[in-house]
Amino acid sequence: MMTLQHFVNRVLLIDIIKGMALTLKTMFRHAVTRQYPTEVRDPIPSFRGRHAFVRDSKTGKEKCIMCMKCSQVCPSQCIHIEKGKNEEGKMCLAKFEIEAMRCIFCGYCVEVCPVCALVLTEEFHYSAYTREEILFTREKLLSNWDEFSKKWKSDTYFNKFWRPDGIETARMTKAKRELQPIQLRAAEPAPAPASEAAPSAPDAATQAPKPDPEEKEKV
Amino acid sequence: MDNNILYSGFYKLLGITGEPGALAMTVAALLAIVVVLVAVLLHVAYATYFERKVIGHMQMRLGPMRVGWHGLLQPFADGLKLFFKEDIFPAGCYKTVFRLAPIYSLFAALSSLAVIPFFGTFYIANINVGILYIFAISGVGTYGIIMAGWSSNSKYAFLGGMRSAAQLISYEVAMGLSLVGVMIMSGSLNLIEIVEAQQTHWYGMYLIPQFLGFFVFAVSAFAETNRTPFCLPEAESELVAGYFAEYSGMRFSLFFLAEYTAMIIMSSMSVICFFGGWTLPPFLTDAIPALNMVPGVVWFAGKVYFHIFVFYWVRATLPRYRYDYLMRLGWKVLIPLALVNIVVTSIIKYLA
Repeated sequence: MMTLQHFVNRVLLIDIIKGMALTLKTMFRHAVTRQYPTEVRDPIPSFRGRHAFVRDSKTGKEKCIMCMKCSQVCPSQCIHIEKGKNEEGKMCLAKFEIEAMRCIFCGYCVEVCPVCALVLTEEFHYSAYTREEILFTREKLLSNWDEFSKKWKSDTYFNKFWRPDGIETARMTKAKRELQPIQLRAAEPAPAPASEAAPSAPDAATQAPKPDPEEKEKV
Repeated sequence: MDNNILYSGFYKLLGITGEPGALAMTVAALLAIVVVLVAVLLHVAYATYFERKVIGHMQMRLGPMRVGWHGLLQPFADGLKLFFKEDIFPAGCYKTVFRLAPIYSLFAALSSLAVIPFFGTFYIANINVGILYIFAISGVGTYGIIMAGWSSNSKYAFLGGMRSAAQLISYEVAMGLSLVGVMIMSGSLNLIEIVEAQQTHWYGMYLIPQFLGFFVFAVSAFAETNRTPFCLPEAESELVAGYFAEYSGMRFSLFFLAEYTAMIIMSSMSVICFFGGWTLPPFLTDAIPALNMVPGVVWFAGKVYFHIFVFYWVRATLPRYRYDYLMRLGWKVLIPLALVNIVVTSIIKYLA
């Protein structure tokens, strides 16, 4: 049985008028759209993007120890590793390939790596016209790291998946447990004290950081 | 036609004084048609842009932003794209009818423009049965849709065409009856006289005494133009695009033009019959005499834009009706309401 209230509401189209008022109100609110190519948002920290090998500051090479764990854990089996021997007869990495076309960006390879050699960086602009460009070889992975570390806004970098939450640190390898945030910029004096305490050398302190923000905007 | 500024302007332009000959009259009529057509088609182009912007903002998006400043050139980009698209005939379609349907649709939509008085002295033709003419022509428009639906050899298009036929025929009745109240009050079928009759009342708009008629007219106008919430003939989510699902390129854009022109015509009809056309209510112009200086076309266009905005506003708000509800609303609610309106209006007119 329809109550009087319902009847009045239906005759006077109260619900429709309420809906119309809502859409009209929404029309004058700010749109949430980001106009992508001109307005690029910063990736969320620990976003899983382009693959890279962390360049070891001591050797200048990748840290990989050929344990094959990443290629075993990979659900889409897109990591191919071959071992070889160098001139001295020692074991070395002959081939390391990640097919980004097949990767599902689960990040298991980063979690499992005992020496934190591999990382899924926050870089996400890397579409290409050919498959070869996104078939990441060892050299490509290292250059990915260089490109990424140049763009990264802070001086240090630490990926959350190197020491994933919910796993006891005691069960991790030593390298994982003791890993410190990676220093990306060459040991410059920390920027805050430099700007405070160095009126004698203002040029070096003020000019050095300048090119950085410009580069970021261009990218 | 003496006071029509379109024609007299052309006669002056052609250097004709006194009584114009048949040739001069034809040329002047053709020029008048071109002027009105260009104006309306430009409005149609920007109506699509306006629609995308309004609906975008109502959904907290921005709408077109890339082509030109805030996407202002978007309609031309769209038109250019449609013009150069491949013209596809679906397998098994009836080619002659398939070709004719969009032309027929657009022809029906555009010929209604002939009698719309944009302001007192600006129209193509001033005929005594303007309202009847518009109803007749909008009934003809249905054929274009049915032809498109039938000749496409596709079940979606066919369903769309059938739905459209049933819907337009039922709602035309309600729409015709809703305007009878206006005809009774003004005592004329001539659109210019209807506007002038509204000026004799202090309120200057039949919207106030004929609110019931306006309600029925407005709902039927949504159904006649196949707009949401009565967009069942096109129903993107059920029938792909309804009767023009199989059309592409230029032929598709002709249907598109027809649909938006029909929307402009329905808005103009509503403005002329219920909102006082190009005039303002006398109590307003008496209070502020400066308003008389503004050309009437400003008020007419403003009122039409408001109506078009309401079309979009409703589209952004309401979901689509179910088909049996649509029919029930048309036959069981709107037609009785329109009849009540006629009875009440005639009694009051008789007593007054």
